[in-house]
Amino acid sequence: MTIAENSSKGGLLARSRIARREQINGWMFIMPALVLVGIFMIYPILWSLWMSFQVGRGMNLSFGGLSNIIRLTQDPILLRALFNTGIFLVVQVPIMLTLALIFASALNNPKLIGRGFFRTAIFLPCVTSLVAYSVLFKSMFAEDGVINAFLMWAHIIADPIPWLLDPFWARIVIISAITWRWTGYNMIFYLAALQNIDRSIYEAARIDGVPAWAQFLYITVPLLKPVILFTSVISTIGTLQLFDEIMNITNGGNPADSTLTLSVYIYNLTFRFMPSFGYAATVSYVIVIIVAILSYVQFLVARDRRA
Amino acid sequence: MSGLQLKAVRKSFGSVEVIKGVDLDIKPREFVVFVGPSGCGKSTLLRMIAGLEQITAGELYIGDELMNDVDPSKRGIAMVFQSYALYPHMTVRENMGFALRFAGVSKPEIEKQVLEAARILELEPLLERRPKELSGGQRQRVAIGRAIVRHPEVFLFDEPLSNLDAELRVHMRIELARLHKELRATIIYVTHDQVEAMTLADKIVVLRDGIVEQVGTPLELYDDPDNRFVAGFLGSPKMNFLEGVVDGENLKLPTFGAQTIALGDLAKKLKNGDKVTAGIRPEHFKRGGSAAINVTTELVEHLGGETYAYARHDGGDVLTVAMDDGRELVAGDQVRAEYDLKRVLFFDEAGQRLR
Repeated sequence: MTIAENSSKGGLLARSRIARREQINGWMFIMPALVLVGIFMIYPILWSLWMSFQVGRGMNLSFGGLSNIIRLTQDPILLRALFNTGIFLVVQVPIMLTLALIFASALNNPKLIGRGFFRTAIFLPCVTSLVAYSVLFKSMFAEDGVINAFLMWAHIIADPIPWLLDPFWARIVIISAITWRWTGYNMIFYLAALQNIDRSIYEAARIDGVPAWAQFLYITVPLLKPVILFTSVISTIGTLQLFDEIMNITNGGNPADSTLTLSVYIYNLTFRFMPSFGYAATVSYVIVIIVAILSYVQFLVARDRRA
Repeated sequence: MSGLQLKAVRKSFGSVEVIKGVDLDIKPREFVVFVGPSGCGKSTLLRMIAGLEQITAGELYIGDELMNDVDPSKRGIAMVFQSYALYPHMTVRENMGFALRFAGVSKPEIEKQVLEAARILELEPLLERRPKELSGGQRQRVAIGRAIVRHPEVFLFDEPLSNLDAELRVHMRIELARLHKELRATIIYVTHDQVEAMTLADKIVVLRDGIVEQVGTPLELYDDPDNRFVAGFLGSPKMNFLEGVVDGENLKLPTFGAQTIALGDLAKKLKNGDKVTAGIRPEHFKRGGSAAINVTTELVEHLGGETYAYARHDGGDVLTVAMDDGRELVAGDQVRAEYDLKRVLFFDEAGQRLR
């Protein structure tokens, strides 16, 4: 063995020792976080998966195989909750995101007077407590609340609208509430993205005679596509988890389950009716699967066709 | 093609006045370059012509029409930005044709215009690419193409070459000169680079602090500057400025060991003790000149074709001397820098030219 080979072998050994030490150090650094994530996220996820195959009342659980999944297919209330959640998703998310986009591009205009005020005003709902604003909406939309009072004062309606007693109006109230609460939140993402767009692009468009609506439609919207995708995914997830508003405004899905959502149904299954932890876990996985499918579809739709 | 007229044009941002009364007459088909150090207001002036900035006072005419309050899209102008300002999500073809869709141009006509611009700019193989797949020079050509398809009366260029590397800049400079000939359009071009100004312009407008210092052809400004600022701004290496005091018929140079420069006819207009600056360009030092300054070289740069010597007299001011036969020269050599007295320019204490 030559000296050169010898020393290079020694070098390799030393290097592998350093590499191993670096490995150990690295693991030690992330261990605390990993342990916490493991205990509070991964373990519950796996546990709930196992739970979803359990049947029985309360703590009297036994393995039930696929019986929870069979129960899913024969559950009219689940269908109802799915339908309501779907309505909220299809109606509310597009309205909210369109509004957020319009607000963002209006508030991005440096010539707008009172920009800071409007930005704050529109974002402010996001920092209010879910329960507090829900209670407020409930009182505003009461039969003798300010909304009815105003509409009657303005002679838009003759008789008070039974907001929270009629299935159609109750859904409208829920949709208005979450739109009010979350539009500003999405707007902030759009504003941030808009500020990254080179201003001279708009100046060039202006000089070239591209009308403002076309600048919005053909320049702003395509350039914001990644952010629009992001907000639509998180809004979809948020809507599928809709809970606080339903609990507080329509007392858990009134009238006649017309605002019952999947999350509220899971809560009811777990804590309100005869506790049925196993079946509740199964319904939770329905949400997981829907979120996964919808997110995938959104990515597909938004994917760059040329890329 | 239209010309332009600016009459006492002013611009203020709040209480800060950045353009302090500019009068300018630009003829049709002229290539005019606004040049000046950063912050001199050249870009602001261009943006005022484009309509991107309001004109605070004064009048702007494009052709014979008052344009102060006309929308940018109706001024008959097209602008090329320093950042290119291409639409990142559109192909080259879409970038160039986009604006025409809103001008009521038919689809086949748009296609024709785009292909014509692509031919002029040699962009045909790149039509389906997006800006991020192009090099800086190609992007710049697309930005120019986007301007060409609109057939504007006036092209505005805002430092279009400053994002390119040196070699590409030279190449694009030649391209632009060719384009000007081919399009026969009025061009207003903003740059801080005096080489671009000298090589491209029919007419240079030198700006400083929102004021036009001088307007003229490149060589007029080079040979016959009105003031010390213009003299120093154009030309590379810079003109030498030798501070002196009038002493009878001569200008005495305290920083060059009290050597003198003959003032000639100017002596009659000056009195003893007046502070005067003499300006001599490095390349005006020629063997066999009628006068000379004795200096010692400190640093010699051999560029192959020419040699620049940086020299002083007894630790005084630095004098830059260009030599075409200086290959043997080394630092520390004594040099008798001869020059032609007729080419020396004199400036008064305020920097104005003495004629």
